[in-house]
Amino acid sequence: MGTISNVSDEVREKLVNPIRWAVLLFSLGLLGLTTAMFYNFFGELNGFEGIAFNSYEFTARYSWVGSLGIYWSVGLDALSFPMVWLTTLLLPVTIIATWNEKNGAFYHPLLLLMGGALIGVFVALDLFMFYVFWELTLIPMFFLILKWGGDDRKYAAQKFFIYTFTASVVMLLGLVTLYFLQNPLDPLAYSGTMTGRTFDIPELVNHAHQANMNGNWFLGASMQKIIFAMLMLGFLVKLPAVPFHTWLPDAHVQAPTGGSMLLAGVMLKMGAYGMFRLPIALFPHALEYFQLVLMAIGMVSLVWGSIVCLGQTNLKKMVAYSSVSHMGVICIGIATMQPMGWAAALFMMFAHGIISPHLFAVCGAFKHHYHSMEIGAMRGMAKHSPWLATSMMFAWMASLGLPLLAGFVAELMVLIALWHFLVAEGWSVLWMVGPALVLAVTAAYYLWSMQRTIFEGGDETQPPASMDGQPIPDIGNHEKLAMFVLAMFTILFGVMPWIALDMMNDWSIQIFEGLIMPILGNFNGGV
Amino acid sequence: MSEIIYVQPFDANFTTALLPELILVAGLFALIIIPNLGKATFRVPGTQIRLPYFLGGERYSLISNPRLPSWIAVTTLVLAFVEVLMTLDGGLQRYMIVSELLPTTINGATAGDVLVNGGSHIIPGSSKELLLINGFSRLFEMIFFGAISLAAIASMNRLQSFNRSDRSTNALYNNRRQADFYILLLTAAMGMAIVALAQDLFVLFLGLELASFSSYVLVAFHKESKEGTEGGMKYFIVGSVASGVGLYGLSMLYLWAGTLQLGELSVAFDAAMAPQGFPALPLIALGFILVGFGFKVSAAPFHFAAPDAYAGASSPVAGILATASKAMGIIGLTRMLLIVASPESNDGSAIWLVALGILSVVTMTWGNIAALGSDNPKRMLAYSSVAHAGYMLAGLTAIGAWNWDPTLAGPGGDGAIMVMTAILFHLVVLVCFKLGAFLVLSILESEGEVSKMSSLRGLSKREPLLAVSMFIFMISLAGVPPMSGFMSKLLMIMGIVKISIGNMGDALSNGDILSIGDAHWVWWLALIMVLNSAISMFYYLRVIVTMYFHEPEGDRQGPLPGGWQVRTAIFACVVASVFFGINADGLIELCEMAANSLNYSWASQ
Repeated sequence: MGTISNVSDEVREKLVNPIRWAVLLFSLGLLGLTTAMFYNFFGELNGFEGIAFNSYEFTARYSWVGSLGIYWSVGLDALSFPMVWLTTLLLPVTIIATWNEKNGAFYHPLLLLMGGALIGVFVALDLFMFYVFWELTLIPMFFLILKWGGDDRKYAAQKFFIYTFTASVVMLLGLVTLYFLQNPLDPLAYSGTMTGRTFDIPELVNHAHQANMNGNWFLGASMQKIIFAMLMLGFLVKLPAVPFHTWLPDAHVQAPTGGSMLLAGVMLKMGAYGMFRLPIALFPHALEYFQLVLMAIGMVSLVWGSIVCLGQTNLKKMVAYSSVSHMGVICIGIATMQPMGWAAALFMMFAHGIISPHLFAVCGAFKHHYHSMEIGAMRGMAKHSPWLATSMMFAWMASLGLPLLAGFVAELMVLIALWHFLVAEGWSVLWMVGPALVLAVTAAYYLWSMQRTIFEGGDETQPPASMDGQPIPDIGNHEKLAMFVLAMFTILFGVMPWIALDMMNDWSIQIFEGLIMPILGNFNGGV
Repeated sequence: MSEIIYVQPFDANFTTALLPELILVAGLFALIIIPNLGKATFRVPGTQIRLPYFLGGERYSLISNPRLPSWIAVTTLVLAFVEVLMTLDGGLQRYMIVSELLPTTINGATAGDVLVNGGSHIIPGSSKELLLINGFSRLFEMIFFGAISLAAIASMNRLQSFNRSDRSTNALYNNRRQADFYILLLTAAMGMAIVALAQDLFVLFLGLELASFSSYVLVAFHKESKEGTEGGMKYFIVGSVASGVGLYGLSMLYLWAGTLQLGELSVAFDAAMAPQGFPALPLIALGFILVGFGFKVSAAPFHFAAPDAYAGASSPVAGILATASKAMGIIGLTRMLLIVASPESNDGSAIWLVALGILSVVTMTWGNIAALGSDNPKRMLAYSSVAHAGYMLAGLTAIGAWNWDPTLAGPGGDGAIMVMTAILFHLVVLVCFKLGAFLVLSILESEGEVSKMSSLRGLSKREPLLAVSMFIFMISLAGVPPMSGFMSKLLMIMGIVKISIGNMGDALSNGDILSIGDAHWVWWLALIMVLNSAISMFYYLRVIVTMYFHEPEGDRQGPLPGGWQVRTAIFACVVASVFFGINADGLIELCEMAANSLNYSWASQ
């Protein structure tokens, strides 16, 4: 579509509308499809509950590079479906929220391309395909930042690409080493004709499960730790976890609104999804070995992200660092190695995926209408832009974990799982005070920024200097619509979390009882 | 695989065997003669009879189109390419051209019949194997002819007249260089084809020099520009020295072994490396030959002439240097390292293993880091060529280690085949995206110099399709999925990891505790390769950012000149780059067949 529209500038202008609508309708169609999948429309399971571990629905498999054992293999299970649904939800919302982005004839198809690559990551059941789509997500995001971004976009786009690309190629080497450590004389199903080994994820998970069950470490202790570390490097950089998080603030601040929404909403979850899909299923021993390290990384991310937020004056940078701290929560959830902790991490991925696009949509509207992203620039917003103020307050409250909104459920569950972990490990429960207090810090920075922007000033509100005395607008209809949709879903999943939580809980219990308990023994008292 | 048919020169099967090369020769003759068809006559002394002759005179008076040489050359090359493809299709008939055969045999069969291993046709001792046509050589011919034909297509509109300000077609009439350029291209193609087919080191050297001399002149072709002359001189001098050193090594080999036949040399090498230790002479010879071929491949530290040569040459020629010349060097290295000094000749691993490993690491790192600092796009691509050569050398190192631990080595021959397949695949797809990048630069060159990165600015606004093509080429070079560059890099990493891991998988599943230190040290080559790919992302991204982010330079506005020919070539390259990334199976099998046909002990498993 973009190529056609490039015939001339005039054509580009005229084609914007049809392209935008086509993209929107297409993405809405996708959303309908995934929702229908959820509600048993196609005669499959209801809501993905009760699926055994390592079995998938809606699968398809085609030979891609047969000589190497690479198949185009897709499928959904309770781990990936929420992410896929989230992506298909965010696509139309993002398109609507940034309806009037300049150069729309390229922008909207690029968003669609991004969504396609993201969905590809989540449904891939073949290591090669997983990696291809993982890297493929970098390209549209790079262009989004480069062409539609802020002032320093050149630096930010390159930093984003190179940073995550480097981590990904180390992950690739880990995947290839894993691939070759199969025994070609006793090949698994779907092996390559030339190599006798396969890239297929379900097969590998089964194989690893068998090997682990026999009491040994799959691939041997040393090798497993090394490959675990290599894979985790790729995922931790993507998550992003401190100390590998420095690409995120730059990327977010310079990215356009739509790019930020998809980046924070879905792309960061790719890291956590990868952690669940690969290292946890294949290397439970190594996970136990590195459990404390992971816990430490999560806690540091949480604390660091929050405290740095307090000092930010750029609104979008503040929200970016808050993403870092929320991802730290996910990391803690994974590191607890409890079913509740994992379900909590999954739900946090999901909830954060709904809330943070809302946050970034607000930031984008702020930038768009006030031409500045400094927190102190606009005071007394409630007087001039009531809709924006309301949305901002809602999003901010959701993100800091207000009960009855989606974020609260996740944070609470993580804290409970953490408590169980500490008790089971025999550590002092006072270790919990840190994260809990930090969650209060989260509330602090959000409330403070709200106070400075929305409420100060009373009647003598000063318009920001960047407005040059022009009248201050409120947000447009499309932004209102997008934010409203996100708000509704936040409330929905806050009040009725079991819609998604049930399948996540199920999956976590499945993997815990099926994988961890038999292998690692009576582990942490399992909650 | 079919049996080998032994053919004597100008024999019954000779034309079938060497059809692509004969097409080239025919084209060469045509190219020399046809543009010279004119009114040139000379007077027979003592009479008034005027006889026409084919040299000099008004070259284009009869055949009026000055683009004729380019058409002839392109037709020839494309025909040769298609012919190679056709022989590859449906099973390859292998031919061995030998210097002489007995006219009849004891059993009454005649020369040209299919006999197992030549039977009694070969005159032992005096019958030299000259050229072998098998999958390996045909694949390389495909690479050579493909690359050179693309370069020829790209040059079709480009040869300006001596007077730079006059770019009209009329000026081409006075341009005596049209025919010269294409003649040189065809002789380079001939030379490269001979290198691909050679089974005798002297024939190899002959082809190598033929191609090299043609490329020296091609690099220096635009002698009116300073960079052209400088680049050409440097390339010529360094190349000659390197060839001289290589020839010295070859002569030392001959001194030691008494023969230049590859098969006999490998037998002699094997015998010599037996337990009593390494004799010095063949090893020194090997070192010298490594220098000669290392220059061709632009391995560090023999690569110093390459950046200047690429920067000074016109872009299509630089593209040939980057793809076809490099493939030629790899053939030479493969023949030397894997046939003559084969890994089996020493217990455990090849003699040259550590040396080549160090060389590959230095090459990779040097190329990538030097490219980071380049402002000239052609120089940057030259250094990236150096880096890619490093990746391929790492692959060759891994092949040298395929037999590294008898206790752990499982079906190790597969690993060597896989790496060889990867190297061949890489060379094929390198033509697509590296030559494609040079073709885009050649369009830019036709409107002015491309010696600064700023000339690429704003390409996305001026010519969006070209910018997208360049984007695809750049990310393919870096190894980003789903392009063919990623596939080739992945195959190489896979091959190296496979060899280094050997049979560890089985051992691990039997309960042995092994760690990454138990793998062969070539595994670390794979890690270095991966990190170098990440480094290379920097400068490839810089090109992309320049194209998409900046505004075009002041005097370069609007769409670019350059006709449909080069754009078609670029489009073909783009399609191939993406296609071979997504649907690589066919090409992988072709390369596997070629790797198998190298006919060594590790291939027969």
